[in-house]
Amino acid sequence: MDERGVVVKDLAKRYRGDVIALDGISFQVEPGSVFGFLGPNGAGKSTAIKILTTLALPSAGKATVGGYDVVSQADDVRCISGVALQEVGLDPLLTSMELLTIQARLFGMNSSDARQRAVELLELVRLTDAVGRRVSTYSGGMRRRLDLALALVHEPEILFLDEPTTGLDPASRRDVWNEVRRLNQSLDMTIFLTTQYLEETDELADQIAIIDRGAIQIQGSPAKLKASLGNESINVAFENPRLAERALGIIGSSYPGSRLDRDTLRLYMSGAAAAIPEVLNQLQAASLQPISLTLTQPTLDDVFLKVTGQSLIEDKIEAEPQALMA
Amino acid sequence: MSESTMNAPITNTSSPHASFPVQLFLVTRRTLVTIFRTPSALLPPIAISVFFLVIYNSTLGTASGFIPNLGTNSYLGFILPLSIVSSSLSGASVAAQNMVRDIETGYFDKLLLTPISRAALLLGPILAGALILGLQAHIVILVALLMGLKSATGIAGLYAAIGLAVLLGTGFAGFTVSAALGSGSAAATQGAGFIFFPLTFLAPTFVPLELLGGWLKTAASINPITYVLEAMRSILNQGWDGAVIGRALLACLLLGTAMYALAVLALRVRTRRR
Repeated sequence: MDERGVVVKDLAKRYRGDVIALDGISFQVEPGSVFGFLGPNGAGKSTAIKILTTLALPSAGKATVGGYDVVSQADDVRCISGVALQEVGLDPLLTSMELLTIQARLFGMNSSDARQRAVELLELVRLTDAVGRRVSTYSGGMRRRLDLALALVHEPEILFLDEPTTGLDPASRRDVWNEVRRLNQSLDMTIFLTTQYLEETDELADQIAIIDRGAIQIQGSPAKLKASLGNESINVAFENPRLAERALGIIGSSYPGSRLDRDTLRLYMSGAAAAIPEVLNQLQAASLQPISLTLTQPTLDDVFLKVTGQSLIEDKIEAEPQALMA
Repeated sequence: MSESTMNAPITNTSSPHASFPVQLFLVTRRTLVTIFRTPSALLPPIAISVFFLVIYNSTLGTASGFIPNLGTNSYLGFILPLSIVSSSLSGASVAAQNMVRDIETGYFDKLLLTPISRAALLLGPILAGALILGLQAHIVILVALLMGLKSATGIAGLYAAIGLAVLLGTGFAGFTVSAALGSGSAAATQGAGFIFFPLTFLAPTFVPLELLGGWLKTAASINPITYVLEAMRSILNQGWDGAVIGRALLACLLLGTAMYALAVLALRVRTRRR
């Protein structure tokens, strides 16, 4: 276990009225890795990030960030962590340059160093063109990028991002992803991010923990989690449903998990990639010409569905009670 | 153990952070910048004070001959302190409004995540508010000079009046800041600011204290505004009177001490980790 990452042991958080936001969670984040904390609204993600960034106290358990205890060594934790919370905390009346230089100077830089650092960071998050403009004129994506720049002012070892792309359009979301990847790869920064989006953890995270109702349901690498389901399929599409039906009659018996879906024949199995040549040979022998052949791997949504019994569908999330949010 | 760690100023010398004067300078300057960028919050208090100065002077000024003990032939010199005091009371909300805006935008939390001392977070906006109060008092006095004010103690007396206005306004700012920190709501903070409005009338507002009677006299005698008004009037119209000025300073000191104890408590509650 490496002390420089994040180590969480039996962490619990209870609010008044017996509301349990975190029910004794344990996990660890390896230094230099991207850790995705995935769960629906109200699952306990924000509570966990508030404890790890010293804004809230745990009711029980222990957590260290970079080897520092989040309760007794809060100042040290703050000095090595960068935090971009879900609610972007920017003063709309100030310009990006002003916000960045204030932040840099509070972390002990002198006036000219602070300015230089601000210029660097604005370039990093591609806001150089908007440098003299007040934040009130920025788009949602620009605000997120500026918030990210603020979190990076003091070159933190560990970056905490609470739902960094919630509410962003797809292009801005991709911008944030690229930025996170770049920080992780070029600066070897440890990144802890929470998200409601499976796609996001699939894109970015080395390790994932799925949290629901205050407890971690499953954790591991995205590939490992998906492989644990063993539900790959080969999908063979034909020109019309009649041809698909004929194909099912000929090769269906060799693949017990096969199913007809209009003009597409779906063959469920494990190790699907290796079975493709054989499927093609059999089709060729029967003179059946498929118009497309695709391979579907189980998605994290399938994993999520399996461990939480619910799908991460947007409108369902909206309906979730907010009571557990800190 | 955690609360004391959180609330104490950063003393860990190994962690990079700005010295306290630099922190205070940064927060104060930043507050001033945001105040000047919202002139809609800055100008009305000045405009209203000037408006009342002109109105009171022209409506009551001519009828003031019967009021004994005015201490001067000019009603302008009598009514100007009210105008200064009311501008400093409305100005007392400036710091609090700025703070509540930061709480609402989340910038307050952002600052809490930097190695900034809690004292700088509290004193920065208040210092900025005091500078704004001083500026407002200058403008009101400038208008009075244009209207023909003659100060019995010259320029020094005018600055003494400005100083008292800043002290009184800063004392009340402690109260509005407490409301901002305690409620985190702009509406509640604005409501707290309105409490001062009646206070300006529970005082020897239009006539000297001796002419007040009954419960109004009792209320006026425990109202710090009374002593500040009397001191300003004495300075502007009669001359230096140590006892009167001393009472005003004492009133400001008592007010300030009580309000800042409240503000520190409110800050502790707001920044306590739960």
